Amino acid sequence: MITLSNLSKIFRTELIETHALRDVSLQVNEGEFAALTGPSGSGKSTLLNILGTLENFDSGDYLLDGTSVQGLSDAALSRLRNEKIGFIFQSFNLIKDFSIYDNIELPLRYRGLKASERKQRIEQALELVGLHARRDYLPGQLSGGQQQRVAIARAIAGEPRILLADEPTGNLDSLMARQVMELLEKINQQGCTILMVTHDPDQARRAGRNIQIVDGQLHDSTLYEPLSAQSA
Amino acid sequence: MEQFIYYIRISLLSIKRAPLPYALTIFILSVGLGVFFANATFYYQLNSDPLPHKSDKLFFPMTLIVPHDCNDCLPPRILSYSNVQKLSSSDIPSAKAAMYSANGYARLHAEQPPVPVTLRITQRDFFSMFDVPLRHGSVWPDDNARDEVLLSRAMALKLFGRINVIGEQLLLDDRYFSVIGVLDHWQMLPRLYDANGRNHLSPGEDIFLPLETGYDLNYQSRTNSRTFDQTDYRKLSTEGRTGARHMLQYWVQLDTPAQQQAYRQFMLNLANAEKAAGRHPSPINNQLIAMADIVDYFGDDPGDIKAFALVTLLFLLVCLFNASHLSLNRYLSNQYEFSLRRALGASRSQLQQQMLADVLIMAAFTLVGALLTGYACIQLMNQLLPNNSLFSHWNLTLLLSLLTITFACSYLVTLYPSLRASFGNLNQQLKE
Amino acid sequence: MSFYLLCKVLFSRKVVTTLLLLQLAMALALLLNSILLAQQTQQQLTQPTGLDLEHTLQVQLKPATASLRVYPALQDLLDRQLQAVQAIPGVIAAAYANQSVLVQGGNGGNLYDIEQEERTNVPYVPLYFVSKDFFTVLNVNVLQGELPHYTTPFGDTAQPEVILTQSIAEQLFAGQPAVGREVNLGRVAAVISDFYGQRRSDNVMFNSLQVTPPYSVDWGYSILLRTEPAQTAAVRQQLANVLRAVEPNIELFHISNLAEQHQRVYSNEYGLAMLLAILTALMLLVTMISSYSSTHFHALKRQQEIGIKRALGATKITIALELLAENWLCTALGALFGLGLALFLNQALAQVISIPPLNWWLPLLTSAILLLCVTLATWYPASIATRVSPASATKAL
Repeated sequence: MITLSNLSKIFRTELIETHALRDVSLQVNEGEFAALTGPSGSGKSTLLNILGTLENFDSGDYLLDGTSVQGLSDAALSRLRNEKIGFIFQSFNLIKDFSIYDNIELPLRYRGLKASERKQRIEQALELVGLHARRDYLPGQLSGGQQQRVAIARAIAGEPRILLADEPTGNLDSLMARQVMELLEKINQQGCTILMVTHDPDQARRAGRNIQIVDGQLHDSTLYEPLSAQSA
Repeated sequence: MEQFIYYIRISLLSIKRAPLPYALTIFILSVGLGVFFANATFYYQLNSDPLPHKSDKLFFPMTLIVPHDCNDCLPPRILSYSNVQKLSSSDIPSAKAAMYSANGYARLHAEQPPVPVTLRITQRDFFSMFDVPLRHGSVWPDDNARDEVLLSRAMALKLFGRINVIGEQLLLDDRYFSVIGVLDHWQMLPRLYDANGRNHLSPGEDIFLPLETGYDLNYQSRTNSRTFDQTDYRKLSTEGRTGARHMLQYWVQLDTPAQQQAYRQFMLNLANAEKAAGRHPSPINNQLIAMADIVDYFGDDPGDIKAFALVTLLFLLVCLFNASHLSLNRYLSNQYEFSLRRALGASRSQLQQQMLADVLIMAAFTLVGALLTGYACIQLMNQLLPNNSLFSHWNLTLLLSLLTITFACSYLVTLYPSLRASFGNLNQQLKE
Repeated sequence: MSFYLLCKVLFSRKVVTTLLLLQLAMALALLLNSILLAQQTQQQLTQPTGLDLEHTLQVQLKPATASLRVYPALQDLLDRQLQAVQAIPGVIAAAYANQSVLVQGGNGGNLYDIEQEERTNVPYVPLYFVSKDFFTVLNVNVLQGELPHYTTPFGDTAQPEVILTQSIAEQLFAGQPAVGREVNLGRVAAVISDFYGQRRSDNVMFNSLQVTPPYSVDWGYSILLRTEPAQTAAVRQQLANVLRAVEPNIELFHISNLAEQHQRVYSNEYGLAMLLAILTALMLLVTMISSYSSTHFHALKRQQEIGIKRALGATKITIALELLAENWLCTALGALFGLGLALFLNQALAQVISIPPLNWWLPLLTSAILLLCVTLATWYPASIATRVSPASATKAL
């Protein structure tokens, strides 16, 4: 599903070069629920951004679903994000003056789906996150947990292959955090690959796989199969 | 004071933070105000009253005493010599003067090249009625023909190189005249005694000649003249004095409403008498128009300044909207800072004082910009509409009103944005 | 992006949008009316004059001493001046006239068919006293009758015959032959093709002429000449000196070709149209600044939103189009209001100056101009906005 090989990312300023990621290789298979942990500044957000094609990288390669993302045009990357990847952010990132319904609809519109299909998918997603009754609310009228559930609904309405979650429960209290985690597990069970950055060791443990990142390098808790073996 | 300087410093700091939006705001306000001010200058000067204490006491009588029958005619705007004589046979006016203007050539002696001059051919009371200041000499003692002229100050300087030229001789066309008076600086603007056909926008005349002499010497009117019968206009001194050769303006001074009423009655009686004598076939139509209303009555106002006034006002509005839009954006970007200050305990009134400092600075910049734009715009208008160029100067009243308007505009442009920034929801802004 | 969401975004910023709409509306109103005025001026300047504007020169002049303004000295002066001017190489023909053509106003009077004064009286028709080559100078065609062969001398007891332009002949005699009929000025000898006389007359092509010296030159007179096309400039240069050599005691008011004279007659309209055009340009500039800054500012404000959208799969082009579409919608709405405002301004202007009424295609044209300006102004900030990095924009504080 996701294959990173020898991927590096360097941030340059006039004075210093920071290696955010060094020679990272990673293989995530279809249907996995992987947690990405590590101290602040270790490069986990950078990795997630690269996986989500929000950021580019300096060397190495990234195959998504067997195709390299390197050298793809902006339009192709946008389509890739739109169709295959769902994002969940720590700060929800809902558009404030759009209703819940409008927020969820946004990626579907970019995909160019017909109104009837959009409606059907949104209803389904809202059903799943249990916010059907609130469809006409504005984000500001919902609690943090509810907002994050809207964000999840938005991410899954497009039926993505991969869900990238950047500390999805970071801004939530424990009760709400648990609800969100349960929701994510449910989605994972339906076949969606999830990669989640988290600080919470409990959450990391609940994930099927735990990838640690320290100083831009990966330490995988699961058995790491070399690339050559995988492709053979 | 120290507090005020602090506010000014903070304002300048916030300008420095985002100079482009600020510069654009100033630019837009300056252009809007400058264009508006340039046109307002013309509008104000063109509509100003050159004799505020008298403009409602000087009247132009007109009467439809002409040798043809016309049912819906207004009386001619110019009078014949004989009609003026009839109209001036009354003692009701405290002053009265008939006049017209002509072209001539002046020089000191026949060997010199002739200098084209404009003449006002008029009567003695002209000078007192229109408050014409005399620098040297005096006016004619009566309204009889005489070879004596008065000169404008500029004309005296041009012909003689000095001002005190009383008793000197000059050659006007083919005849010698002696100078009995020289005017002081005098520019009546607009020159309402000559309002017919936009002449009131042009500069005053150079040489003043007695009316009777003008007729004797056959000086033709340089502006409007009409003949309603077979009068030969080349025989002004004879036929021109008796026939329906219309070319004169006539002004009477009527100081009180009673005098005005009496003169109206006199005109009516005159018209009736003329009708009875068979010299007045048309219906009676007398007009007695005050100097203050004469331009409107003649309706010769070109309208371009008025049209442009409308448009510049609209433009100013647009610029105001635009500047407030820009400044709203600026304040909204600074909203965080506003909120922070309020969180640190600044009261709304303190924020408003800060805003006042902003207004002051903006007004200062805008004033400079508006003056520059206004000046450039006036130069441009003088090029494109040269007819109005005499009316393009600034005076204290105009400049003070520009200052006031600039301040008001700066205040308006700053008011809503700063209110919005300082009254916004504190909580929410800080969280953002 | 759906129209519905676009409207929603637009109207969530009530004050700013209202300000922008008002500006756009006013800009359109002004743009429309100044184009109308410019168009009218253009029409006035390109209307047919019946004259060879470029190659006909006119001199307006006046004898500077009274003795030269009376006959027979005047006749002698006129003859000498004509002779000298005709001798300049390149001059095809020269003539004097009591007044020039293509002027604001001048000498004239009422004109009527003496058999039907009541019905045919035209209150004001310019009256030209000209020398016999005047018609050659203006290059007019004789449509009926024959031009007089000689100049009726000044003071002659015989009334000189009258020549009418086609328009006034038509007006007086309604299609019947004019030659031989009597008007209040005398017997009609010929009808010539139309030429532009005075702007103040009811119809600028109404003119009456007599081949006789000017009755009086107290208001000056004109010498008109037609030149070989290649030699107009050369002739023009010599004119002043040639005339001064004939008689130094004259004042030359101005020397110009008829094209310049034509412009002078409409200089006020031209000036006003120019001023309005400049103002309109400024107005468009101000509108562009406004669109620019509003897009720029809102793109800044909405960096996070744009980042989210990018993460959700919007391409750069989609983002730019969204921003542009906001402005287009705004412009379209503004133009709609502007149309009403333009109508109002048009009527208000018509109170003080002459301005043609609105037509159907000008609003479309001006809206397109406005749209173009707004698009240009929005382009840069919109393209900047698309460069927002979705990674950093979607990060929490």
